[in-house]
Amino acid sequence: MVILREGVCPGINEEFIKALQSEDIKTVEDFVSCNPEELAQKCSLSYKALVAVRRVLLAQYTAFPVSGADLYEELLSSTAILSTGNPSLDKLLDSGLYTGEITELAGSPGSGKSQVCFSVAVNISHQLKQTVFYIDTKGGMCANRLLQMLQSKTPNMEEQMEALQKIKVLRVFDVFSLLACLQNLRSNGLQKASVGGGSVKALMVDSVSAVLSSMLGGKQNEGMSLLMQVAGELKMIAKDFNIAVLVTNHVTKDGNGHLKAGLGQSWSHAPRTRVLLQRIEGAETSSLRTATLTKSSRQACHLVEGFDLCHWSEERRTSISGKRKLEERSKP
Amino acid sequence: MHRTVPSLPLAPSVKVKLINAGFQVASDLTDMRPLQLCKEAGISQEEAVEVLQMLRDDGQPHQQRAATESLTALDLLHQEQALGSIVTFCSALDDALGGGLPVGKTTEICGAPGVGKTQLCMQLAVDVQIPVCFGGLGGKALYIDTEGSFLVQRVADMAEAAVQHCTLLAEDTEQRQALEELTVEKILSNIFLVRCHDYVELLAEVYLLPDFLSEHPEVRLIVIDSIAFPFRHDFEDLSQRTRLLNGLAQQLIQLATQHSVAVVLTNQMTTRVSNGQSKLVPALGESWGHAATQRLILHWEGLRRLASLYKSPSQMEATIQYQITVQGFRDAPDEPRPTPATSAVSSPSGNHSKHPRMEDRS
Repeated sequence: MVILREGVCPGINEEFIKALQSEDIKTVEDFVSCNPEELAQKCSLSYKALVAVRRVLLAQYTAFPVSGADLYEELLSSTAILSTGNPSLDKLLDSGLYTGEITELAGSPGSGKSQVCFSVAVNISHQLKQTVFYIDTKGGMCANRLLQMLQSKTPNMEEQMEALQKIKVLRVFDVFSLLACLQNLRSNGLQKASVGGGSVKALMVDSVSAVLSSMLGGKQNEGMSLLMQVAGELKMIAKDFNIAVLVTNHVTKDGNGHLKAGLGQSWSHAPRTRVLLQRIEGAETSSLRTATLTKSSRQACHLVEGFDLCHWSEERRTSISGKRKLEERSKP
Repeated sequence: MHRTVPSLPLAPSVKVKLINAGFQVASDLTDMRPLQLCKEAGISQEEAVEVLQMLRDDGQPHQQRAATESLTALDLLHQEQALGSIVTFCSALDDALGGGLPVGKTTEICGAPGVGKTQLCMQLAVDVQIPVCFGGLGGKALYIDTEGSFLVQRVADMAEAAVQHCTLLAEDTEQRQALEELTVEKILSNIFLVRCHDYVELLAEVYLLPDFLSEHPEVRLIVIDSIAFPFRHDFEDLSQRTRLLNGLAQQLIQLATQHSVAVVLTNQMTTRVSNGQSKLVPALGESWGHAATQRLILHWEGLRRLASLYKSPSQMEATIQYQITVQGFRDAPDEPRPTPATSAVSSPSGNHSKHPRMEDRS
């Protein structure tokens, strides 16, 4: 609903608006849904002026249908698949993160969600040389860890610094700042970033549940609205700018004691693909994890893949710096 | 301004009235006068003034910058290196944590009763005051005590041991000068102590912390010992508890990041029975596990005290042994020295000390 005021379209001035308001017409919607003949009789406005304004408003505010074939062409030409850097995860996600979609990682504390986000960011900024936006809501972003991961990929300092410069970090700690941040990105932030050379291909939010879970439940009636707004902003960013969005979520236990992703049923429709990360039973201190596909429109659900969190730190060359030992450091 | 009206931090009833009156974007509201807004939207005068005030504050340059400013990871790396970390005087634990407790992050210490959580907190409150020329941060500490377990005599003992340790290390004039000012009285006077008796007082205290930190910018450590105690007894509505705790966690991490302080929280343990086995897990529920950035679990194994780093964004999981002595929190006596290979792992803290610290031999 857009309010009628001066400047919305040429031909609307103060008297026009006042005359319409006396008939209780305040928004564009009200204006175009009433009959111009009746309106011309009730207010003292000329019929021609009303029809002209109506035409301009309709042209400005209508949504135009697009044919399915055009949409398909656009999809084929603009979707990209971003590899996560880990072959087992790629297999699970049907070769990687798709742009234009939201992918969700859920897991209990320490299951490796932030590590997977870091490694995807490093992979995209170093391998694919594209810009990544990382929205951190928990203070878990550690640039040193990114550097460690980069050091194991290449010993060249220049390349490491370049890759680090392509990862942009935003820190927000409550849901209103998150919404402000997302709306800002959508209106001018992303375009500004793509002007400088590399295009933005990924946006990560770690984590969405940290800011939303305190607003849901109890007698609060705003929580659901804010959750849907966040979901809406993320989807619009993903679609309009052809970006892959990766979010992390916490887990809760359902009635049978099984783990499921948090934030409830309404949020579950926002991401297209959902992955659940878990530690391996019995190997509590190792770095191995299992990833289970819980929602996907491309693969059969409940596919499980095991992977190693240390994978991204393994050296590919014989450099010594930054190697993390895979052997246990804990005392027996 | 591209903010939509539903995303503004206003009361829901006010927002509903604004949206019904047709205001969609924040820019629709900026040119309105309070009386005009009052009439068009049907809200009261005070609410109209509040709305316009909030929009004006939001439009301030520093607020806008906070929302839109993005650091590159390279800038963040430099920032992290400048922030430093707080040593614990137990070199094995410091290595596992990557130099010590990181400043700018929240760390949770969980453990069974008597394993040494409060000892570690008191040790950290002393260690944060070690002068910069010795490799410390030279900052003050705020200790929020909810259990009543803060003992001044013990802190005095730890402070004395710390001063003796620094005296042994002092090698040049700058360090000797700094040492003259480092006395037990000074250390005790730089610890701000707050006693909270229930969760309402704790929430109020955390709410007042931003003002406190702006007045005392040298505070580098906030300890809440313990955060579990006021929330565990007398709370009927568990979902409300979870919501309050999540909100509290977000406020604390915001404080930690914006004012460059290290936040340490102590948690208790509870028993979880599953598959016929029972094990000790940290209290306050599953979702609280996500709240802190790092999690350290202290536990017993026979007569030995072990510390496990359970969750950390930058360090690998590790378990080390420690002990509590008269001087405070120290390495266990038969802990093997870290070999040169493993200590080549780069530590994130900008270590300003000019000489390596000597191992505590007692």
